Amino acid sequence: MQRNRLLLIAAAVGGAAVLAVVLILVASGGSSSHEAAPTTTAAAAQADTTPAAGSGDVFAGVPQKGDTLGKASAPATLTVFEDPQCPYCRQWSVDTLPTVVRDFVRTGKVRLVYRGIEIIGPNSEPALRAIFAAGAQNKLWNVASALYDVQGEENSGWITDDVIKNAAHAAGADGSAILAASPSKKVTAALVAAGKDAVAAQVQGTPTFVLQRAPAVPQQLPVTSLDPQTFSTTLSAALQ
Amino acid sequence: MTPIRAAVLATAVAGAVIATYLTYTHYAHVAPICTSGGCEKVQHSRYAELAGIPVAVLGLIAYCALAATAFRRGVTAATAGVVIALGGAGFSAYLLWAQLGPIGAICQWCVANDVVIAIAALLSLVRLATEPS
Repeated sequence: MQRNRLLLIAAAVGGAAVLAVVLILVASGGSSSHEAAPTTTAAAAQADTTPAAGSGDVFAGVPQKGDTLGKASAPATLTVFEDPQCPYCRQWSVDTLPTVVRDFVRTGKVRLVYRGIEIIGPNSEPALRAIFAAGAQNKLWNVASALYDVQGEENSGWITDDVIKNAAHAAGADGSAILAASPSKKVTAALVAAGKDAVAAQVQGTPTFVLQRAPAVPQQLPVTSLDPQTFSTTLSAALQ
Repeated sequence: MTPIRAAVLATAVAGAVIATYLTYTHYAHVAPICTSGGCEKVQHSRYAELAGIPVAVLGLIAYCALAATAFRRGVTAATAGVVIALGGAGFSAYLLWAQLGPIGAICQWCVANDVVIAIAALLSLVRLATEPS
């Protein structure tokens, strides 16, 4: 093989190495559009586990009871299947939920029902238990939202008791009571029930949205995008 | 078209088919057909996007570019093919590490892509070594 060709191969391999390194650096150091979270790594989660105050403003004045957000008289129920470790669920909660609450829940068109399921991994369970336990204080949606504010990398162990306490505090809930209630049979039953509901609704990923308008059979919302405008359009169409 | 260029083109098409399917599942927000059980987990992980762009889309662009180099004869096109395929293989190796490590789940489509891009990289190197000046 000619020397020039060998040099060219070496240069091409070098160029490929540079390309791969740049891609890896961007992937490992940068954040994706829906991961503009304050924390994305376990180390960062340890350093900053306090959700921003004011996340409860989204839910202020909205009736909340147990796992349900909105007026009991709402003609439609939107059941949301989420995993607190799921980045797309965080995207939905941070970007779109405020719009849904403002345009559909506050107006009495829809009530939301939370169904937390473990799909990312076992580290989701302590967060799910805390969220369901917060239901006893009628702060389930606030705590779920506050945990998304500090979401860390999947299965990195970011969901600690301190994280839960801080999230509960930011959500205006009693963190100690939540931690005490987390292992309870009632919370376990809620977890099991959510899992059964997910199976019944043929949930294959999170977030999944199931819309029910009695007496119609519940149907999965055909969501093509989680951005507020598209989601609202889809939900409006389904409510027609 | 020489056999080696045809082989590079074939791998590019195979990779593009996989990337197209994963791009569809990403934007349609549907779970990919999966027997490994981990596709959903991988698809929802932070590694599924690079700077806000779905990795599947980047893969599709890369395979289209690789196919374009296969259609052109000459050392320049062969060199570009090596940079694209080998660079893609390196990044795919990183994503395989992410699946085995931080994500803790394997996506069969990603593994299939890893095999295709590895073959494409090998063929591209052979092409560059044998391409007439």
